Amino acid sequence: MIVEIDNVFKYYNKIPAINGVSLNIEKSERVVVLGPSGCGKTTLLRIIAGFIQPDEGKVTIDGLVVAMTGRCLVEPESRKIGMVFQDIALWPHMSVYGNLEFGLRAKNISREKRNRLIDEMLEKVQMTHFKDASPGDLSGGQQQRIALARALIMQPRILLMDEPLSNLDLDLNLLLRKEILRMQEDLGITMLYVTHDREEAFSLAMRVVLMGHGRIQKIGNADEVSKYLLDLSM
Amino acid sequence: MARRYTLLIAVFLLIVIGLAPVIAMFVKSLFIDGKISLASYGMLFQSKREWQLLFNSLLLAGSITFITVLLGVPLGTLLAKTDLPLKRLFTILFVIPLIVPPYILAIAWFYCLGRSGIVAGMFGPKIGAATSQFLFGFPGTLFVMVSTLLPVVIILMATYLRMVNQKLEEAAKLSAGWLLVLKRITIPVIAPGIFLSALIVFILAIGEFGVPSSLRFDVFPVESFVQFSAFYNFNAATAAAIPLGVITLVILIVERLFLRKKTVQFKITKEPIIIVPLKKAKPFLFTAVSILAFIFVIVPVGVLLIKSFSLRAYNEAFAISTNSIFRSLLYASIGATCLVIFGFLLGYLLERKALRFSYAADSIAVFLFALPGTVIGIGLISLWNTHATNFIYASMVIILFGYIAQYMALGERIMAATFSQVSHSMEEAAQIVGVGWVRRLFGILIPLTKRGLIATWLVGFIFCLRDLGITMMVYPPDHDTLPVRIFTLMANSPEEVIAALGVIMVVITFLPLYLLGLVTR
Repeated sequence: MIVEIDNVFKYYNKIPAINGVSLNIEKSERVVVLGPSGCGKTTLLRIIAGFIQPDEGKVTIDGLVVAMTGRCLVEPESRKIGMVFQDIALWPHMSVYGNLEFGLRAKNISREKRNRLIDEMLEKVQMTHFKDASPGDLSGGQQQRIALARALIMQPRILLMDEPLSNLDLDLNLLLRKEILRMQEDLGITMLYVTHDREEAFSLAMRVVLMGHGRIQKIGNADEVSKYLLDLSM
Repeated sequence: MARRYTLLIAVFLLIVIGLAPVIAMFVKSLFIDGKISLASYGMLFQSKREWQLLFNSLLLAGSITFITVLLGVPLGTLLAKTDLPLKRLFTILFVIPLIVPPYILAIAWFYCLGRSGIVAGMFGPKIGAATSQFLFGFPGTLFVMVSTLLPVVIILMATYLRMVNQKLEEAAKLSAGWLLVLKRITIPVIAPGIFLSALIVFILAIGEFGVPSSLRFDVFPVESFVQFSAFYNFNAATAAAIPLGVITLVILIVERLFLRKKTVQFKITKEPIIIVPLKKAKPFLFTAVSILAFIFVIVPVGVLLIKSFSLRAYNEAFAISTNSIFRSLLYASIGATCLVIFGFLLGYLLERKALRFSYAADSIAVFLFALPGTVIGIGLISLWNTHATNFIYASMVIILFGYIAQYMALGERIMAATFSQVSHSMEEAAQIVGVGWVRRLFGILIPLTKRGLIATWLVGFIFCLRDLGITMMVYPPDHDTLPVRIFTLMANSPEEVIAALGVIMVVITFLPLYLLGLVTR
């Protein structure tokens, strides 16, 4: 088990944003959290990343309790987590190379190894020619590839993706979905993906976690959740 | 059409009130006894003294900027972005020196470190002589000016830090600790904002007249004033003002070329700022910030309070300055109201690019803001000191013109930032159903920008109230304001009365802020 979320609650102004969520994610699994805006899915992701702490419950990563009832036991930078954000969040004052290098340098990896890892990663996301480009000069799709590369280069235990494709047009969305699938399968990385788009969720997930009002409403494969939603609407 | 005319009138007034005096001054300086002559300029850099003044001005402003940024960036970060205890109190404390006229701080430090000051009283005349030597001249001027201008960097740091997209920091936080994230991500992202704050500090430092003049450090603004008021040498005063004008122009060009596009990238967001936990460093940093607050704020303000601690001092202070206090409040209120009107129209012009020359109008306003008050003062006198315009020259209007010219950019920029938060469609929705400009103005734009208008008024009030450079140059007889009164009484009045006047000045500056607090509670 890579991630264990155990009866987690998070309140904002006494209103629960996460209301007793428990979820386990297995190694190399691709889990998609599906739900409307404000259902708590991004909050859940940020709790796992360590940006906010659960008011109740605990989060365990690789057998180590990282957060428990309001306390951060392991800082985000020590959790070995990668994250791709909805608004991409590439550092505008650094080149593509700088964006990929930042985390490696922070971990004191030697220059030769950094260069090698960056070259390999850029090749994987097919962005070799853009090493020295500035993020502002890249298209939306290219920026998203670099954001993905920046997260993956740190060889995280789990990759968190917060609606990474929601700002892209449909063609690009479909193309990048395929690439995310390919990369996840090639690298065997554990992935927790958050989206409000059912079609996107069903096409990417091994397991779909349906959320609403801060609670998990249904967990299952795409067919099961799809059927559940259909029954619900009838 | 009505909108166009309103904005054109605002730009026309900007040119007449602000730019025309500067041009008039320049033109006038080219004539001696009715003939074109460059003699004033020829003389300008022939003497060693002029070069020395230029060197002093640049050295002082450069050093102030360097130290202010060096202290202000970490301090601003600590106050805006960390869990430092009592940070709200510290923020209020550090902002006080910006509100207090700088030369009053100089007076307070004189009472503390002067030859017969508090320190001398405590540790003997030898120490007093040493502290006095420190205070008078470059180090003292630098020290007092740093304490006055530090809030500029702190406030701008807080503003820009609030605008950083928190995802940029979170993305970095996944692989690095806070120190590295701040050093490599947050601070570089707001670098244009830091550069802008450095520029503003430099502008305010190079134009400062009160502190160098009180602490006897010769710089160009003092030279202009002395040439003008002591020797009545208009041409020499103008010639001494020109190098400052040139430096101002250079600064303006730098701002236009490098900063304009970069600083407008920042948008006010509603996302909360990420607070950095200080953990083990907290006690050490708390102590360091407390020491700075003690030195820069508590000591000078405390000295003024202690020194003036007698009813007699306040009685006498009121007796000699009641009219000046009243005039100060009146002129600053009218000035601030004018700045709101100009700020609103020019801010609208800049943000909505409503006329082709929006940027030119902005450049004029920024140029005037950057120009030292003494220079604007000389300009106003050059233009309005004629028989036909005596009704302006000999009334409070000349002071108000000075305020408008110097501080218009503040209102313009605050209002432009406010307008950027108001969607164009708000006004367009009214326009499309046939609502005219005046109705849109009073029914849509003014109500939606109310907060910006109040902020402009307050900032305008504070700057007009504390102004010394312009008012000192242009005030007609019986029109002196409290800062001018204090400045002229300083040399030959009892210390406790001057201290009491300083305290009164601080209190009346805080008055509108306090009243606003009551209203908005």
